[in-house]
Amino acid sequence: MAYRIQRIPSAPPSVALAARGLAIVLALVTAGIVLAALGFNPLALGWQVLRTTFGSSYGLEDVGLLVIPLIFTGLAVAVGQKIGAQNIGAEGQFYAGAFAATGVALFVPGPMAVILPLMFVAGAIGGAIWILIPTLARAYADVNELITTLLLNFVATLLVYWVATGPWLDPSGRALATTARLPHEVPEFWGIVHWGLPVAVVVVLLVGALFAFTRWGYEVRIAGSNPQAARYAGMPFRRHLIMVMLLSGAIAGLAGMFEVAGTVHRLQGGISNNFGYLGIMVAVLARASPIGVLPAAALMAIILNSGIVLQTQGITVSTVLAITGLILFYTAIGDELARYRIVRA
Amino acid sequence: MIAPEPPVPVPTRFVPPPGTAPIVQLRGIAKYFPGVIANEDVDLDVMPGEIHALLGENGAGKSTLMNILTGIYQPDAGEIVIDGYPQSFASPVEAIAAGIGMVHQHFKLVKAFTVAENIHLGWSDTPRAVSAAVLERRTAELAQALNLTVDPAARIGELSTGEQQRVEILRVLTRKARVLILDEPTAVLTPAEAHELFRALKDFVARGNAVIFISHKLDEVLEISDRVTVLRGGRKVATEQTAGCTETSLARLMVGREIVLSDMRGRSAGAAPIGAPVMTLEDIRADDGQGHVVLDGLSLVLRAGEILGIAGVAGNGQKELTQVITGMRQAASGRILVDGADFSRAGAAEFADFGVGHIPEDRLHSGLAPSLSITDNAVLREYDRPPLSGGFGFNGRAATALAKDIAEAASVTVPDFGMPVRNLSGGNQQRLVARREMRIASRVLVAAYPSRGLDVGAINMMMRYLVELRDKGVAVLFISEELEELLNLSDRIAVMFHGRVMGVVDTAEADIDTIGLMMGGKRLTDDAKGRGH
Ligand SMILES: Nc1ncnc2c1ncn2[C@@H]1O[C@H](COP(=O)(O)OP(=O)(O)OP(=O)(O)O)[C@@H](O)[C@H]1O
Ligand SMILES: [Mg+2]
Repeated sequence: MAYRIQRIPSAPPSVALAARGLAIVLALVTAGIVLAALGFNPLALGWQVLRTTFGSSYGLEDVGLLVIPLIFTGLAVAVGQKIGAQNIGAEGQFYAGAFAATGVALFVPGPMAVILPLMFVAGAIGGAIWILIPTLARAYADVNELITTLLLNFVATLLVYWVATGPWLDPSGRALATTARLPHEVPEFWGIVHWGLPVAVVVVLLVGALFAFTRWGYEVRIAGSNPQAARYAGMPFRRHLIMVMLLSGAIAGLAGMFEVAGTVHRLQGGISNNFGYLGIMVAVLARASPIGVLPAAALMAIILNSGIVLQTQGITVSTVLAITGLILFYTAIGDELARYRIVRA
Repeated sequence: MIAPEPPVPVPTRFVPPPGTAPIVQLRGIAKYFPGVIANEDVDLDVMPGEIHALLGENGAGKSTLMNILTGIYQPDAGEIVIDGYPQSFASPVEAIAAGIGMVHQHFKLVKAFTVAENIHLGWSDTPRAVSAAVLERRTAELAQALNLTVDPAARIGELSTGEQQRVEILRVLTRKARVLILDEPTAVLTPAEAHELFRALKDFVARGNAVIFISHKLDEVLEISDRVTVLRGGRKVATEQTAGCTETSLARLMVGREIVLSDMRGRSAGAAPIGAPVMTLEDIRADDGQGHVVLDGLSLVLRAGEILGIAGVAGNGQKELTQVITGMRQAASGRILVDGADFSRAGAAEFADFGVGHIPEDRLHSGLAPSLSITDNAVLREYDRPPLSGGFGFNGRAATALAKDIAEAASVTVPDFGMPVRNLSGGNQQRLVARREMRIASRVLVAAYPSRGLDVGAINMMMRYLVELRDKGVAVLFISEELEELLNLSDRIAVMFHGRVMGVVDTAEADIDTIGLMMGGKRLTDDAKGRGH
C-alpha cells in the first residue's frame, strides 16, 4: 500500500498548531546540532536559557520589556494586511514616532500627566505622517506601498541618527550619541516593565474589536478580501485604504514612543533594534489577526531574549541571529506543510 | 429551440468491442464535508465513445464527484477504476497523466499570455529551449490534429469566452486526455459557440474517447448525450439511456417529484400597471479604460412595473450597461435620470440607497468576497442599517440571523454560516446573491444572466420572483442570451449590438427573425417598430 501527499486549501487549526510546535522543536534541535558542532554543550546552554528566561522574574521582565514594541509593530503590519496593504515601513514609522515623542518631551514644558499623553499622541501622529506619502501614492496613483514604505525606513533611520548626534545631542556632554535623558518617562508597574505593556494589550483588543464589531471593520474586511466586491457594494475603498494605512503607521509610531519613553529614555541612532522588521514576522506568525499578534509577539520576545542570553554565554551575535532565523524559517515551512496531508493510495 | 440551427453532423459512432471495460468506473464513492453529505454510495461508469451527462439540482454533488475523479478531493469511501484497474489520484496532475482532464467553469488561463504559452505552461512535453515561433507552430499542429480552431499567437485576454474555453479544452486534450470532463461548459457560451463545442465533443468521442458533461440545460443534455446519470442529495438516483428520456422525465428524476413550471406570461390581477419611468438613460457613452468604446450612445427607459429584456450576443456592452446603471462605472458622457434626479455622477452607494439591486454577471468575483464567510457575504447590502448597524457598530449576531433568513428564502441549506462562501456550490452562490439583491431592489433590479448555473426548478423560482417584483411595481432590467427566456418574461425587449440599442420591441408583437437581425447589427426600421419606445 503506497502513500502520497495531497495539498488542501487550508489546514485544520489543530494541525496548524501542531505544525507550529513541531517547527519550534525541530529548529531547536537543529540549533543544538550547530552549537554542538561549534563546541558548546547544547543541553547545558538550553537549560541556561530556560533558567534565565523563565526561572527568575528578571528573565520574565526582560521578555515583558521586549514584547511591547513587538506587539505594536506586529499589530501595525497586521492592520495593513487587513485591507491588503503591505506595510514594510514599520521600522521607519517607529523612528518617526520616537522622534516626535522625544521632541515633545524635550521641548514642551509641563507636568507629566499632560506631557505623557501628549507624547503618546505625538508618537502616533509621527508614525502616521511617516506613512502618509506612501499611503497617498498607493491610493491615488496605485504606487506599490511595499517599495515606498521600505525606502522611507532608511530616511527615518538616518534622520534620527543625525538629530541624536547633532541638533538634539545631550548638551551635558556626558552622552556622545544620544539626546539628553527625557524629563518624563512611562512609569514601571512590574520590575523594569513599564505601562506600555498593558497599553499595548488594550490597543490590540481595541483594534481587534474595531475590525470585528464595527461597520467600518466589516467594510475593511470586504475591501481587503475583494476590492471589486467593495466597489460593487458602494464602499469607499480609497477612503478605507487611507484610514487603515494611517492607522497602521500610527500604531508603529507608538512602538517608537514607548521604546524611547519607557525603555531607553533617550533618543539614539539604532533605537529601533529592527523591531519594525520583526513586526513583519510577528504579523506573519499571527496570520494577520490582531488578537493573534499577542501570542506571536510573546514567542518572538522569548526568542529574542534567548538570543541575548546565548550572547552572554560567548556565542557570537551572528550565530544567535542564525538560530532566530532558523526558528522562523521552520515555522514558515511548518505552516505550509500543515496544508498537506498524506493519503493512502 | 427558437433559432433554427443546422443539425449537428454526426460523425460515425465509436462502438467499443464487446467486453471492453468502462474507461472510468466509480464505485461507492462518498465524500463528506462538515454537516454535508456531498456524495454517498455513487456508482458511475463511462464507456469509450460515450458522452455521459451528469445531472442534478444545485448542490447535488456533481462538481464534488468530478473533483474526486480528477484528484482535487480524496473520496472518504469508494474507489476509482480506470480501464479496469483501481487508481487513486492525489492531484489533477496525476489524473491527467492517467488520461482524465477537466475544464472548470472558471477558467484557469493566464490572461496576459498567448494561447501557445498557455497550452505549454506546466507541461512536461514542452521543449526546453523555446521560442515563441516554435511554441506557436506546435500549438497550431496540435490544434489541427485535434480539430479545434485557435489562433496560437492571440493573447487570452483578447479572446471571447467561447474561444477561451476552446483553449482550455485544447490544453486538456494535448495532454492526451481520453476522458474530458466539462462542468457547465455552455453556461457562458452563445448558442453558436455551444453548437461548435458539441461538434468538437462528438468528434472527440468518435475517436474512442469519452466525455462527462455537467449541465442544467435539459435540451442540451437530450441533444448530445448518450446516457445520463442523475444525482440527488449526493446519491445517484438513476442512469438512463438518453434516447428514452424527455425533459419532463429528467426533471422528475432530479427533483424526485413532478415539477410544475409556472407560466410567466400575462400579468396577475393585482399587479401594478406599467408606470412612470424610474430610470432614464440618455445617450450614454463609455469606454473600457483602454480606449475601446463599449457603450456608444445608448438610450433606454426603465419603467416601474415592467420587465425590460436585453437581448444580444454577450460582449456587446451588456456588462458595461449594468455597471453604468448601478453606479459602478461612470459614463464618459450622457445622462442618467433617476426619478427625474440626475444620477450621472452618483456612485454605487447612492444607487443602492435609492433601491437598485444588482445580480452581477460575474457573481463570484464582483458580487462576493469568496474567502469570507457566508454571513459576511449575505449581509453585504444591509450591513449598514438596523438591526445590523445603528451607525457605528456591527452586530454579528444580527448578521447571522439575516444571513439565515436570506439562505432560507433562497432555499440554500448551509451547515455553517462561518464557512467561506466559495465552499457553496456554484448554483447556491447564485441563489444567495439573487435573494440578497432582490431584498434591496425596491425600485430597480438589474439582473444579468440570473439563471446561469441554476437548476430547472431554481430557474423557475427565479423567474417567479422577477415577476413578483415587477407586479410590486419594480422596474426590472433582465439581461439574457436565451431568447426563449426573454420572450417568456419580458414586457419589452431591447436588442444590444456594439454598445448601442438597435431597437426596442413589445414582446407581444415581437418577431423572432427581426430580433435575430437586430442582434446581428441591423437597426429596427420605423415601420417594423411596435409601440415599443
Ligand atoms: N470545500 C467544501 N467545504 C464544505 N462544503 C462543500 C465544499 N465543497 C462543496 N461543498 C458542499 O457539497 C455540496 C455539493 O456541492 P457541489 O459543488 O458538488 O454541487 P453541484 O452539484 O456541483 O451544484 P451546482 O449545480 O450548484 O454547481 C454542497 O452542499 C456544497 O455546499
Ligand atoms: Mg457545480
